[in-house]
Amino acid sequence: MSPVALEVDGLTHRYGVRPVLDDVSFEVAAGEVVAIVGPSGAGKTTLFRAVTQLVRADAGRVVLGGRELSALAGGELRQARRDIGLIFQQFNLVRRLSALDNVVAGRLAELPTWRVLVRRPGPTVRAEALECLSRVGLADHAGSRADRLSGGQQQRVAIARALAQRTRVVLADEPVSSLDPESSASVLAALASVARAEGIAVLCNLHQVDLISGFADRVIGLRDGRVVVDVETAAFTDDHRALVYRPAPVGALR
Amino acid sequence: MADTAAAPVGGAGGAARRRSNRQRKAGARAARRWHWRRWLAIAALGAAYVVSFRLTDVDLARLVKGLSTMAEWAGRAWPPTAREFPVILQRTGETVAIALIGTTLAAVIALVFCVPAARNLTPSWLVRLPARLVLNTLRGVDSFVFALLFVAAVGLGPFAGMLGIALHTSGSIGKLFAEAIEGLPPGPLEAAELTGASRLKTVSYALLPDALPSLASVGLYMFEFNIRSSIVLGVVGAGGIGQQLRNSIELLDFPRLLTIVLVILVLVTAVDQLSGRLRQALA
Repeated sequence: MSPVALEVDGLTHRYGVRPVLDDVSFEVAAGEVVAIVGPSGAGKTTLFRAVTQLVRADAGRVVLGGRELSALAGGELRQARRDIGLIFQQFNLVRRLSALDNVVAGRLAELPTWRVLVRRPGPTVRAEALECLSRVGLADHAGSRADRLSGGQQQRVAIARALAQRTRVVLADEPVSSLDPESSASVLAALASVARAEGIAVLCNLHQVDLISGFADRVIGLRDGRVVVDVETAAFTDDHRALVYRPAPVGALR
Repeated sequence: MADTAAAPVGGAGGAARRRSNRQRKAGARAARRWHWRRWLAIAALGAAYVVSFRLTDVDLARLVKGLSTMAEWAGRAWPPTAREFPVILQRTGETVAIALIGTTLAAVIALVFCVPAARNLTPSWLVRLPARLVLNTLRGVDSFVFALLFVAAVGLGPFAGMLGIALHTSGSIGKLFAEAIEGLPPGPLEAAELTGASRLKTVSYALLPDALPSLASVGLYMFEFNIRSSIVLGVVGAGGIGQQLRNSIELLDFPRLLTIVLVILVLVTAVDQLSGRLRQALA
């Protein structure tokens, strides 16, 4: 068993009286791809914001590479966040920079300021960024401006950017919800293959549960802020699906 | 009224009628008040015009009498002279240079102040408010006033004019820069910030490239504006083509004056066209 890269333990959070996260616990091992599925309002987004500490949960712990994120604040927290690579629904690339320059952005924190200002990352970082691009199959597009690429290509550039950041954990928040099915499959395939090759733990929100097979190793189903399913992808059945997505029983809507 | 006939006496219908009567009365009161206010506004505006006419010394008779002198001057101006054309072109170059350096210096000052003035980069109003105050003050003081102040320091001439333009324009450019930055999508900057890099790095790397077209467009627009300011500043002593314009009037050299006016027209039109096209290409 690979070492645990990310540990979420008893995470609980309320908005007013409504619990959005209710004692959520799980672990993600290095090189493991975990998909979080669940209907809208199940708490997927809050869970992500709580893991990155953009939302401070009412209770519970988030442990990243042996460090308890939930106990940090200020500059220490900013430092610790560097160890999380993020992939966003809207890609969040700098539109007028090339694909390669966008990948270099993953190394912004450690580059000398003057190199950042003149946008000359130097041969080493450049070569590493190019290597990251080729891992997601975009070496040929290194010089293309980000806004000239298709949505699927842009998201793969964003994956390369997270790779360049050299983190042990990558969080992907609905990474394919604005893409067509074909690009979705290729983006998720790229994400899974780099995660396994590099031993990166991936936690990925997915709206479409059909995309998990061939992508995720494990599926966690959230419903009303609770973990209702936590199984290997191969073991995910229609019963599990029903558990996550079944209509609420009459009277349960308070 | 039909509903009056149908409504039973007293009861719900009567209440409805009383209510609608009340509404009608309230409506009439509001209408009277509206009339009253409108007449007051018209009277105030009229009074303002009367006073303003007095203050501006409007005297149509004098204008009619003077028109013949103007026509005579205009007649003497034709044909324009090419006698001093090289000098005039050189002075035109001076005017363009004042606008160019002034606008560039203004953009540099604006770049420093637009970051603390932009809401999305500086959430704290404790920082934002002073930055905005500085920009508004710079914008509120005309380049002519700044130039006059600088005359004391550097003497009459193009240098004082350039500094005047730079300071006044930096306020306008800074405000427009801040607005352009506030209009950008927040995602790319957020993504860069979450890598833990410093503010200077994230803004220059993840925000500036996407902001550049709007910033350049603002700069070009202010350059157009400053060409005209630079001409006017010349008239009051900052050198350039404006100063030549004034000399010609003082010497009553009307053909030369006409040449200068034509050169100014060509310059302003050319710069507006060129800058307009560039801005369109940037959009």
